[in-house]
Amino acid sequence: MSKNKKWTLATVLVLMVALLLTGCGGGKENNQDAQGNSTAANQESIIRSTASDVPNIDPGVGSDYASSIAFANVYDTLVFPAHDGSLKPWLATDWQTSEDGLTWVFNLRPGVKFHNGDELTADDVVFSMQRMITIGEGYGYLFSGVVKEAKALDKNKVQFTLNKKFGPFLSTLVRLYVLDKNQVMANKKPGPYGDMGDYGKDWLVTHDAGSGPYMVKELKKEEYMYAVKFNDFWGGWEKDAPEAIKIIGTTAGPTVRTLMTQKQLEQSDQWQTEEALKALDNIPGVSIDAGFTGSMLNIMLNNKKAPTDDVHFRKALAYAFDYQTVVDKLFPGCKKAQGPVQFNLPGFNPNLPQYERNLDKAKAELAQSKYAGKLDQYPVDIVWIANVPDEEKIALLFQANAAEIGIKVNIVKTPWLSFVDQVATPDNTPNASVVFVSPHYNEAGSMLESRYHSKSTGTWEQGEWLKNPEIDADIEDALGTLDQNERYAKYQKIQEKLVDLCPSIWVFDQAEKRAYQDYIQWPGAELNKQGKPVSSVMGYNFYYHDYKVTSQK
Amino acid sequence: MNLRAYILKRLFLSIFVLIGLSIVIFIIARVVPGDPARMALGPRAPQYAVDQLRQEMNLDQPLPTQYYYWVKGVLVGDLGKSLTTKRAVADDVKEFLPATLELAFIAAIFVVIFSIILGTLAAKYRNKWVDTVIRVMAYTGVAVPAFVLAVLFLLLFGYIWPVIPVLGRLSPEIMPPPTITGLITVDSLITGDLSAFWDALKHLILPALALAMGPLFQEARIVRSAMTDNMSKDYLAAAVGYGIPSSVIMRKYLLKPSLIPAVSVMGLDIASLMGNAFLVEVIFNWPGISRYGMEAMLRKDLNAISAVIIVFGVIFVLVNIIVDLIVAYLDPRIRLGGKV
Repeated sequence: MSKNKKWTLATVLVLMVALLLTGCGGGKENNQDAQGNSTAANQESIIRSTASDVPNIDPGVGSDYASSIAFANVYDTLVFPAHDGSLKPWLATDWQTSEDGLTWVFNLRPGVKFHNGDELTADDVVFSMQRMITIGEGYGYLFSGVVKEAKALDKNKVQFTLNKKFGPFLSTLVRLYVLDKNQVMANKKPGPYGDMGDYGKDWLVTHDAGSGPYMVKELKKEEYMYAVKFNDFWGGWEKDAPEAIKIIGTTAGPTVRTLMTQKQLEQSDQWQTEEALKALDNIPGVSIDAGFTGSMLNIMLNNKKAPTDDVHFRKALAYAFDYQTVVDKLFPGCKKAQGPVQFNLPGFNPNLPQYERNLDKAKAELAQSKYAGKLDQYPVDIVWIANVPDEEKIALLFQANAAEIGIKVNIVKTPWLSFVDQVATPDNTPNASVVFVSPHYNEAGSMLESRYHSKSTGTWEQGEWLKNPEIDADIEDALGTLDQNERYAKYQKIQEKLVDLCPSIWVFDQAEKRAYQDYIQWPGAELNKQGKPVSSVMGYNFYYHDYKVTSQK
Repeated sequence: MNLRAYILKRLFLSIFVLIGLSIVIFIIARVVPGDPARMALGPRAPQYAVDQLRQEMNLDQPLPTQYYYWVKGVLVGDLGKSLTTKRAVADDVKEFLPATLELAFIAAIFVVIFSIILGTLAAKYRNKWVDTVIRVMAYTGVAVPAFVLAVLFLLLFGYIWPVIPVLGRLSPEIMPPPTITGLITVDSLITGDLSAFWDALKHLILPALALAMGPLFQEARIVRSAMTDNMSKDYLAAAVGYGIPSSVIMRKYLLKPSLIPAVSVMGLDIASLMGNAFLVEVIFNWPGISRYGMEAMLRKDLNAISAVIIVFGVIFVLVNIIVDLIVAYLDPRIRLGGKV
């Protein structure tokens, strides 16, 4: 071998060895990681979960899933949504309503401490309500048109005066997260809210001012939120409750799978595909939970655009659609929808007639349509959202089913932002759109109002453009009804009318699937196994105070 | 033109490039469908909150006025507020840029070192088995996208052979060094924390390799091709005739001029590494600016989009100036203005 050759090969060799040494050094440490029994983090009693976002921990700002999980764990509310759909006294020990339903008085639990040691009082509740309404972001919309005044009657008594009768008011209070007024105002900066400056928004980006079971230790934007147990939590602690929680902002399948395998993740997000879930299920010690938490998949039919403006045409599509294939093969574990409201939402009508696949009925409906005989002139566009690849399967099935009754369907893949823009006007809104929707609070009225009241037209929540004055009046009447049973009965009537109008194809009630390690005890998963209901208020199925991390780990 | 004048001229011209880029990206970001204020606050937010945010972001002003306010802010370091992270975009850039810079830097080192070595070997043993193996590797490396390699690396080193960390910038049990530059390897060296340095370096290997593979093999092919061309040149035959040792011929008379085309392409590729890092950052859970920029685009976070593009633009321009200087060093005809 010549000198040159030797020199070249030696250089390559040295570099290769250096690379391998860099890569392999500490390999033992990482092997131990993979077995899940060596690192400090693994030995900690912690629940780490992935989410599509790192939470906004300012309750005046955030309202996405990750933020809702963080709020449930970091802040307290006046009432708490139990898994069975009822509301438990929480910061409020009891409450009274005036006869006209416009005044609500809540007695607060005395001695509740914020994370900084301040005592929680009625002033803090008033401040938190005013802050939410003034900022208007996050869940503020629930109160902005409803609450006229919030007033502290004494240290432990708070009164809300409403602008109008609003039956579900108590249900919406699960979103009134109480902040420490003094702490927030001590950290305010100049801002657009007059004397309130920025209302502490800048400080609350990375700090919490809550009294909940966990207090935020570190929030790294676009990375994670890490919170530790608040020992003075008023609700106390049970043995084996997690010492810390971490919400990690990633949903990338390979990343989640790796973290799960290396036991650096206790609970996955709900955005893993069926294929990814199967792979996760194959990891020893990992199980999959499927729970119904309020979300539904709808095919929104534009009621103001030909040919879906014809009720018979819409019904033909509804009868032609193959629901069973969806729930059996495409989205196993999900439940065929029964009307416009998910089955476990209070106020759901279990006696609704259902659209089932029946080609004879579909053809009969089509024959009554004004478009019968000229279908070739009226193709239907169906849009699926590019950001949710699984929706394409629904669009393809819809196309195939429609073809069976002679309707031509064009499938259009649309980015979310474009879709939001399209639905702003009835002319631009597609004939059909595949969209997931969920309630804003735990009552059927929420779904009915956000999906079918005329005021939600022009937003992505109503691609139907129903604009039906009778339905609008019925929804308003129901929401203004204080008696719960009477209100629920009215919701059920509205659902019947909607089924008859067939503004949408209600495809399935979504079973949110998440992988989790068997060494944690997750109350929601246990309830699901027993076939019992799980809280459908977004975030509260992840109240980690009630979880346990067992020693099997 | 002397070197100083050359650099000054390039820097001066770069200002116009960046102004042009800022106008283009400013307009493109705003013509993408969707009202950013409504997107940020959601369909349920009351109109007064949306109007207030629009006012805060000057979205209620005509485009030229918006651009004026934006440039005014940028000139004093105020890049606006991010709708996603709800804080100053400048803070986001400070936090996320170092992670991507660190990643791109290590990837660039891989590109430079391995492309030259592989290109040289392929040229030296042209049409032999070494050349064939490198050629096959090159075709594969160039054809397979970085994110596919990232997934393959993750599967290989996350499950089958877990000898190297695969996710994030540091292992959970390692305490991050205090932030000085934001580059963990540098900060850990400054603070003398060698365990953090070692751990950070190991975390860089796989994402940097995934990112570097495409450009690395592309450049290796260019080096090989240029060297093969130069081998038939008369000056090389003369050098051999003078009895100059083959190692000197290889390094000085063959490799150096052969690097010129590769270095020019390398500059573009290395500058592009940052923009291409998006999927690699997502897969390796790497908290970098590329991932941040892509998220910003998906959410129509106008200030964040503009800031990320401008930052990438500045880096691209600077890297290209550096590359031009290297090329000028390698090629006297360029350095001396064609007087050779």
